Order: sequence, then structure tokens, then C-alpha cells
Amino acid sequence: MSKKVLVVDDDPDVRSFVVTVLEENQYMPLVAQDGIEGLEMIEKEHPDLVILDVLMPRGSGIRLYRNLKTDENLKKIPIIMFTGIALRSFLKSQKVLDEFKGGEVPKPDIYLEKPVEPEELAMAIRKKLG
Amino acid sequence: MSANKILIVDDEEVIVRLLSMSLRSDGYETVTACSGEQGLEVFQSESPDIVVTDIKMPGMDGLELLKKIKEIDSEKEVIIVTGHGDIDSTITALQYGASDFINKPVRDEALAIALERAKTKIAIRKKLEEYTENLEIKIEEATEEIRRKSNFQRLLIKSSNDAIVAFDHNWKVVVYNPEAVRMFGEAAKDVRNKLTIDDLYTPKTAKIFKNQAKEKKGQNMFPWNERIINTKDGRQIPVRYASNVLYEKGEFVGTVNFFQDLTEIKRLEKELVRSERLAAVGQTVSGLAHYVKNILIGLKGGSYVVDVGLQNNNMEKLKAGWETIKRNIKRIGNLTQDLLTYSKQREPEFEKCRPNDIVKEVIELVKDAAETRNVIISKKIDDSIGEVVADSQIIHRSLLNLINNAIDACIEDEDISKKHEVRIKTYVDDNNFFCFEVKDNGCGMDENTQKQLFNPMFSSKGGKGTGLGLLVTGKLIEEHRGVIETKTSPGDGSTFTIRLPYEKANTVDIN
Repeated sequence: MSKKVLVVDDDPDVRSFVVTVLEENQYMPLVAQDGIEGLEMIEKEHPDLVILDVLMPRGSGIRLYRNLKTDENLKKIPIIMFTGIALRSFLKSQKVLDEFKGGEVPKPDIYLEKPVEPEELAMAIRKKLG
Repeated sequence: MSANKILIVDDEEVIVRLLSMSLRSDGYETVTACSGEQGLEVFQSESPDIVVTDIKMPGMDGLELLKKIKEIDSEKEVIIVTGHGDIDSTITALQYGASDFINKPVRDEALAIALERAKTKIAIRKKLEEYTENLEIKIEEATEEIRRKSNFQRLLIKSSNDAIVAFDHNWKVVVYNPEAVRMFGEAAKDVRNKLTIDDLYTPKTAKIFKNQAKEKKGQNMFPWNERIINTKDGRQIPVRYASNVLYEKGEFVGTVNFFQDLTEIKRLEKELVRSERLAAVGQTVSGLAHYVKNILIGLKGGSYVVDVGLQNNNMEKLKAGWETIKRNIKRIGNLTQDLLTYSKQREPEFEKCRPNDIVKEVIELVKDAAETRNVIISKKIDDSIGEVVADSQIIHRSLLNLINNAIDACIEDEDISKKHEVRIKTYVDDNNFFCFEVKDNGCGMDENTQKQLFNPMFSSKGGKGTGLGLLVTGKLIEEHRGVIETKTSPGDGSTFTIRLPYEKANTVDIN
């Protein structure tokens, strides 16, 4: 059975692109259009990988990332950050939250800054899922 | 010290003895001499307080002795004993400075009175001396104090960072400190007590201070003002200035002007404005670049999906990719239109139109997209508005922008327990403007966002907004002689109201 990959992004163009890349590489795509919907999907479907945008309405990627990494049941799910936001800004926001909420959340395994070539994205996914 | 020691001089020893006895019994101390020469000797050795001398004596007579004594000490009291009717020598004695006369034969009472008088004179003189001495000390102290104070004031004026120029009642310069020298460029020695206000200042500047002294009688402090002054050597100096008009007992005695050179401050201010503008341009360009990049990402993604569709002969993929491409082409189109609208001045094209119909059109356009995101669109129309003269395109674009923003604000809202709604209302206000109200119960705006709403390229939508929408709407409404108002509260939503001048179509001939 092919592995399930969840795309969380509010931009329909990005979703359509990532879904196509996933299908071309024989993965099973799931989609969510904001952070809250994303969390619901993860809890329900237990995907093998999450591809996550940062700036989204309703539960940003910053928050969803944090929720996943601090949840004992979900922290093992690999995440690829896929965003227009620079890594530096993302890490800074996490650092501020670390200080604010206490504890430290690990850095993302893979951080891709848009635009990304289809093959580049496919390689990142394969690296995580084999 | 009391005047107690008396020298008695007479060539008749008996008289000397008698007088001496009498005075001793009165409590005086006496010394005696029987000739003028001896009298002078005793005077020098004993330094008595009062001398009583007979006028007629062989050898050195009383007058001669008086003269000698006065040469030694002009203040000494000398009482002359004269014979009856000896007027000539009495006058000479007076000229020599005798202090009193008694007639021969010497009566005790007369002598006592003369002595008392002499003693009083001595006492008064002593007091006077003391006073004088005191006065001298006091004057010296006061002078020193004044010197110290004026020195301090002089230093104060000299070292002031303000240029200080003072004029007397004839407008002649009396104070002109080093900072004034620096500012006006003329040397102090050429100015002080030489030039008048008209020589130092340009006519315009001189007039300001002259008028202050002339027209506002009674007022002596004038507040700080700013202006550019031209110096006689052709420099322009931005200054902050103030002046004091000086009165003494109600009389105009002069004026003082203070100037602060603002050249450096103005330069820094300009630099700040320039760097802020550069920063704004930088922000604008980077915001625009960010937006264009997002469109490019969309186009690339879309073309990839189209390629996949073509390869696999998958019609569905082909359609999805093509939709993405079309959507992004539209975004470029909108961006270009916004940029053009913003950069070009455009006169509104007035025509007959029905604002309520435009509201319905715009709602039709956005309704479906809003409903898929769980946002309800509702309207409350004032049917009395009817047909008006306005630019329908401006109304259409502005409404579309406000309603889209309102929908975005609902989608952005993290409170999903709310039933999100955008309400559009039309009405005529008290000032005869017809109004469009777009009200949402979305996320609202914080103060910072609200402040920057109409700034170029400011967007609260991440890379998904151009930062031009409201800017363009604001400009369009302004060109239409209308106003746009904002009310917002973070977490509760925002209300935007457009007010346009209400001209009913049937009352105006628009050709």
C-alpha cells in the first residue's frame, strides 16, 4: 500500500502542485487548507509524512508544527516545511515560542523555501519515506 | 577714647597753674607749657587731645603755635585765649583753623563750655571717621560683589550656546556674544556700540523685533519661533529665536534677541526623512517582488501540473493546471491594474448608475467563493437611493476590494465558533452622502495594522496580498470626492464605510 502524505496549505495552486508531485511518485495525497483542518486530518488519518506551509489563516504552520512536535503520539511523524517564509524567520518565531512556553522544539528535518522544482520536492519526500 | 588730655600754654605761669588746677578738678588730665616753643615740644611728646593757648606770647606766639599744630595735625582742636577787642588776630586765628575762642581773663565756665564743644567736635569727628571707614569698606565690598556678578553675567552671555544680541533704546548694539559673531559673521569690535539693528540684520529680520517692541507694548517676553534668517554676507541660517523687550519704570530701554542655530538639527531631520523614504521604497519594492514571486510560483506549479496532464493524457490534471495558470494570469492583471490606477491621476467618469445594483453585482461575484469558506454574505439595501450620478467603475472596484478584505478577515479569524458574516448596507447619511457599509465579524485589526492600512505595499495577508488594494480604493474614493472610514476592534471585526456625494440623476443635467 502506498504511503499517505498530507499537504497543509491554504493556496489551492500549491495544493494542486504538491498533489500532482505526490501522485507522480506513487504516494497517496491528502489535503487540508489550514492548520486546524490539518490537525484534524493528522489525528484521523495518521499520515506517514506532512508537508506544511507556514503562513496560513486559522492555526498557522508555526503553531501546527509545535503541536505535532510536543504531542507524544504525533511527534514521530516526519515533517517537511514547504513555504515562502525564510528559514531564519521560522526559527526565530519558534525560538520566541520556546522562551515563552518553555521547553525546546526540535528544528524541522527538511525546510524547503518556495519556489521548488518538482524533482527537488520528490527527492525530499523520498529521503523521509524511502 | 575720650578727649581728656589738655595742653595749656601761657607765658604767665600763674595762669597756667590756675587753669591746670581748675581743669584737673574737673577730671581732665593736663600738661603745660610756658611758651610757644615749649608748647610745640609738649604737643609732640604728649599728643594732647585739646590745646588751650594764649595768643600773645613772646617768641613763638599763639597764632604761630596754632599754625604749627595744624600743620602737624589739621584735625586737632585748638582753643585760643585772646585779649579783649583783638579782632585782627582773632580773624587770623580763624583762618589758621582755631576751633574756639575765649576772652581774657579766662573764666572757668567759658573754658568749660569751649572744652565741651571741642570734645563734642572730636567725638563727632571720630564717629564720622568710623562711618567713613565703614562706608569705604562697604563700598568696596559692594563694588566687589557687583564686579563679581557682572563678570559672571558677562561670562554667561559670552559662553552661551545661543547667539545673544541686545540693543539699547536707540537700537544700537550693546551686547553681541561670540555665538552671535559666529552666526552673523561680523567681528564684535566692529559691532558693539557701533552698529544699529538695521546694520546688523536684514530689513526683514530687523522689522520683526522692532515691531515687537513697538506694537505690543507692555508685553516683554516673546515666545520661541522658527524661521530662516539671511545674514548680510548672504548665508541662510534656520534659527529658533526669541526676544525680550526691556522696560525700566515703564520706559522702553532696549531689547534682547536670542538665536539658536538649527542648521545641524535641520540637516539631521532631512537625513532622517530621506532614510525613511528610502526604507519605504525598499519595503515597497520588496513587497512587490514578494508578490510577483508568489505569482511565478503559481505559474510554475501550474505548468508542471499541465505537463503531467499532457504526459499521462489526464484531462483532470490538465484542467487543474490550466486553472492555476489562469488564476495567476488574473493576479498579474489585477496587480498591473492596481499599480496603474495608483500611479496615474484619473478623473472619475460620472454617469447615471444605481448603487444598489452595483452592490448586488459585486455580491454575486464573491458569494460562492465566500460560502465555500463558510462566510455568509448578507445585504440591507436602502431602496430610496435609486439612480445617482457617479462613477460606477469606482464604486464596483472599491466595493469588491472592501468585501474581499472582509471575507479574508473572516477566513483569517481563529475563532471558528463564530458564525462568520459580511454585511453590506446602503443608506443616505445626514450630510447628504450615499454610503456603503461593509461590516464583518472577522479577526479585526490591531492598532499597528490600522495605522498602516493605507500605506503602499502594506499587507497583513503575508505574501498573498499586494498591499495595493486599500491604497487604490482610498485613492479612487478620494478622486470621487468621497471619504472612507474605518472602525475596528481586534477579535470582533471591522467596519469600512464609503461616503460619496449624493447627486440624484433626475435633478442633474449630465448631458
